[in-house]
Amino acid sequence: MVIISLTSSISAQSVRDIIAHTPSYSSCNYHVYPDSITAVLTPAPAGKKPFYISHYGRHGSRYISNRTGYETPYLMMQHADSLDELTAAGAKVLHEMNSIMRDTEGRWGELTGSGKRQLEDIGQRMVRRFPEVLCPGANVKCISTIVPRCIESMGSTAMKMLQECPQLNITMEASKRSQWFMNYQDRKLRKRSTYMTPQAQKAYDEYIKPRMGNSRLMEQIFKNPDIVKEFVEEDYFNYYLMKMALFQFNISYNRNPRLMELFNTDEFYRMWQIDNALWYIQYGACKLNGGCQPYSQRHLLRQMIADADSCIKLDRPGAQLRFGHETVLLPLVCLIGVNGFDLETDNLDELEDKGWWCSSVFPMGANLQFIFYRSSPKDQDVLFKVLLNEAEATLPIQTDCAPYYHWKDFRQYCLDKINNYK
Amino acid sequence: MKKLLITVAVVSATFTGALAQGDKALQIEKEIKADINRAAGMFYARYTAKAPNDTPAPKGKKPFYINHYGCPGPYYLDKSEYYTEPYAIFTKADSLGKLTKLGKEVLRRITLMYQDAKDRDGELTVRGAQQSRTLVKQMMERFPDMFTPKGYYSVRSIVENRCIMTMQEGLLQLSAMQQPIVARSKASLQELKFMDPVDTELTSQRLDSLTRISYNRFTDLNSNENRLMSSLFTDMNYVMNNIDAFTLCKQLFILAGNVQHSSYAGQFSLYEIFTPEEIHQQWRKQNAWHYINYGGCTLNGGYQAYLQRATLRNMMHMGDSVLKRYNPLMHLRYTNAYVIMGLACLMDLDGYGVHTANLDSLEDYGWANYRIAPLGGSIMMIHYRTDRDDPDVLVKVLLNGNEARLPIPTDCAPYYHWQDVKLYYLRKLYRYENRRFNFNKK
Repeated sequence: MVIISLTSSISAQSVRDIIAHTPSYSSCNYHVYPDSITAVLTPAPAGKKPFYISHYGRHGSRYISNRTGYETPYLMMQHADSLDELTAAGAKVLHEMNSIMRDTEGRWGELTGSGKRQLEDIGQRMVRRFPEVLCPGANVKCISTIVPRCIESMGSTAMKMLQECPQLNITMEASKRSQWFMNYQDRKLRKRSTYMTPQAQKAYDEYIKPRMGNSRLMEQIFKNPDIVKEFVEEDYFNYYLMKMALFQFNISYNRNPRLMELFNTDEFYRMWQIDNALWYIQYGACKLNGGCQPYSQRHLLRQMIADADSCIKLDRPGAQLRFGHETVLLPLVCLIGVNGFDLETDNLDELEDKGWWCSSVFPMGANLQFIFYRSSPKDQDVLFKVLLNEAEATLPIQTDCAPYYHWKDFRQYCLDKINNYK
Repeated sequence: MKKLLITVAVVSATFTGALAQGDKALQIEKEIKADINRAAGMFYARYTAKAPNDTPAPKGKKPFYINHYGCPGPYYLDKSEYYTEPYAIFTKADSLGKLTKLGKEVLRRITLMYQDAKDRDGELTVRGAQQSRTLVKQMMERFPDMFTPKGYYSVRSIVENRCIMTMQEGLLQLSAMQQPIVARSKASLQELKFMDPVDTELTSQRLDSLTRISYNRFTDLNSNENRLMSSLFTDMNYVMNNIDAFTLCKQLFILAGNVQHSSYAGQFSLYEIFTPEEIHQQWRKQNAWHYINYGGCTLNGGYQAYLQRATLRNMMHMGDSVLKRYNPLMHLRYTNAYVIMGLACLMDLDGYGVHTANLDSLEDYGWANYRIAPLGGSIMMIHYRTDRDDPDVLVKVLLNGNEARLPIPTDCAPYYHWQDVKLYYLRKLYRYENRRFNFNKK
C-alpha cells in the first residue's frame, strides 16, 4: 500500500529509500497515486477565501496501453519454455505471466477499478477541502480528452463530487475541439530527432550503460542463460519484465504481485534512474537538446491563464477540471517550474540530487490544481496557490505570502516566458 | 342463415383487419405530421417531455431487478461528409450564381450546421447529455423501490465515446439523486460479446442480390429530386451535369433531421424545403433500409435480428441468476442504437418482429424506425416479485419507456410470467441455432 505523500517526502528521503518501501515509485509514469494524502494545507490568507479552481489531471490507473510492453518478455519466455530452458522459478514466472496476459486481454489502455477510485477520492477531497468553491449551485465545468480512460476518469471524479454535494451544477465535455490544448502533441518538438539530439543520445547512452542488464535475473529464470541469449535480449528482458511486475500495482485485485520477488531494490532503483533520465530528455528543460521540450504545453498554459482571467471576472466562477495525460502534465509542470521542475542542466547525473524525480509529478491520477483566493469579487489582488498531487507546491517567482502567490505576477511570468519562445 | 352470418363475420373481420392496417399507416403519417422530427427515424431524439404511465403491478409485487439496454442520445453525425459535401456543393453553385433565393438561404443554414459540427463528428451534443440525465431521472421516479441505499448499480458502456458520455451523464444523475450510492461503471471491450455482438456470417447476408434489387426498386419508386433541385438551383442543366441529386437530397434530408440536435434547434428548420410527400418518401427509404438491416425482412432470409441473440440470451441468464438476490440490482448498459433495434425485433416487442418481403407494407404493420430505436432509445426488462421466495416472478418490458407487448400469452399484461418469457425466448434462440449450426445432425 502506498501511504506516503509524494511531494512532501522529497526533501526527507532519497529516491532509493522511497523505492525500498514503495517499489512502484521506480516505474515512473506507471506509479500509482497515493491512497491517502497526508499533506496539510496552509490556512487561507487573511481575509481571503477560495473562489475558483483550475485543474489539469491525468487519468487514473489503467491497464497497459498496448501489447508490446508485455509481449516482449512474454514471447521470450514462451520461446525458452518451448526449448525446456526455464528453471522451476522461471516456470512459475511464465505461469504468472499467463494469468496477467489473460487478465489484460481485451482491456488494453482501459481505466482499472483502482483508477476509478483514485479519481473519486481526488474529487471527494477537492469538495471537502474547498467547500467555499464547491458549494450548492456552483458550476463545475469538466473537459476531457477524447480517450475513453480520460472520459471515465472525468466521470468518476464528477460522480463522487455529486455524492459530496448533490447540488453542484456539473457539465462534461469530451471533444476533438479542445484537443489543441488538452492533448497537444507538438509535431516539431515531439520528433525523436528534436529531443534525442546526438549530444543527448551520447549522454543518455553513457548514463544508462552501467545501469542496464541483470545477469542475476537471467540466472534465476533460465537454465542456461548463455544459450537463451540467442533469443533473449537481456536488457530488454529485464526492463520489460520489471515493468510488467510493477504495472500490476495498477490493477485492482493484483496489488501484491508475485513477479516482484524477482527483483531487488537496487535493480528497481537503477531502472528508475534510466527512465527518469529518458523522461527528462523527452519532456524536461534539458540543455542537451535545447531545453524547449516543456514548451509543447504552451497552448494549455495560455488557455489556463485565459480561463482564469475570464473566471476572475465572475462572481462565482466555480471550477474547471481538465482530464488528460501524463505526457501533457509533465511538460506543463516543467514549463511552469512547479517545485523546481524547470531545472535546466546538461548533466543527467544531477537530476537525482536536484530533485527532478518524474515519479513525483505524474503517477496515475496525478493532478495540478490552481486554487484562487480573494476577499470579494472587487478584490484586485487575487492570490493563488498550486497543488501538485494535492500538496502545496512552490513556483519560480517571488512572493510575500508563500505558499500563496500573486496571480498577476505569475500570469506575467508565464506569458513572458511563452511569448519569448520562438 | 348461419352460413351467411359466418360469411359476414369473416368479411367484416377481414375488413376491420384491413382497416386496422390502414389505420396503422395513417397513424404514422399523423405522428410525423405532429412532430416532423420523427422523420429523422433513428436520428429522432426520443420524446422525454413526459414520462409514460405505468400499469400498477399485480398486488404485492415489487420491482427488484432492472436490465436496461440504452443507446446514446443525440450526437453530431459520424460521417462529416453529410456536413461538408452539401456545404461544398452549395458554396460552389453560389460562386457560379446558380443558387435561387431559397438555395442561398439553405446555404446559410447548412453553413451554420457545418460550423456547429466541425471537429465534433460523432460526439454527444449538449441535448444528448441532458436527455441522458432526464431519462435516468424519469426511471428513478417511476421505480422508487429500485433506488434505495441497499441497491447496487452496475453500469456498462461499449467503448465508443458517445456511449461512454451517455453513461457518465446518466451516472451523474444517479449520483445527484441518491447518496450514498454503490455504482460501478466500466467501458470495456471485454463485454462486447453480448453488448454489441458480431456475426460476420450473418451480416454478410444482409444485402444479397435479391434484397439489393428490391431495395433499389423501392428507392427508385420513392425518389423524385427534380422539384427540390429546381427550387434550390437556378439552372437544371448545371444540376444535371455537376450534382448527384439523389445523394444531395438524401444528405439534405439527414441534415434536416439533425437540426433538432444542433445548437440551432428551434431557430430554423431544413424540413421546410421538402414537401410533405418528399419527407414521407425520404423517411420510407430510410425506414426500409433499417428494416432490411436489422429487422425480420424475409428478402434476406429474415434472420438479421438474430445478430442480437447473445444480448437476449444474456438477458435471460441474468434474469435467472438474480432470482435469489436480497437487494435491488440494476444493470444499466449503453450500446449502439442498432443493437436496440435488432433486439426489439428479435424480442418481437409490440409486433416489431414482423416478417415480410414487401417493403411497401411496413407502414401497414406499424414498423417505424423512430418508434423502435430513436436516439436515447432503450429496452428495459423489469423484474417483479413479492419476496425472495416468490416462485412467480413477473417481468415487464419497456420499449423507449412504454410498456411493450410480448409475443407470449399472459393473464396480467403488460406483466408476463418470467418462466414463460424465459422459455419462449430461449427456445426461439435454440431453434435458430439448431437450424443454423446443425446441432441435431445425426
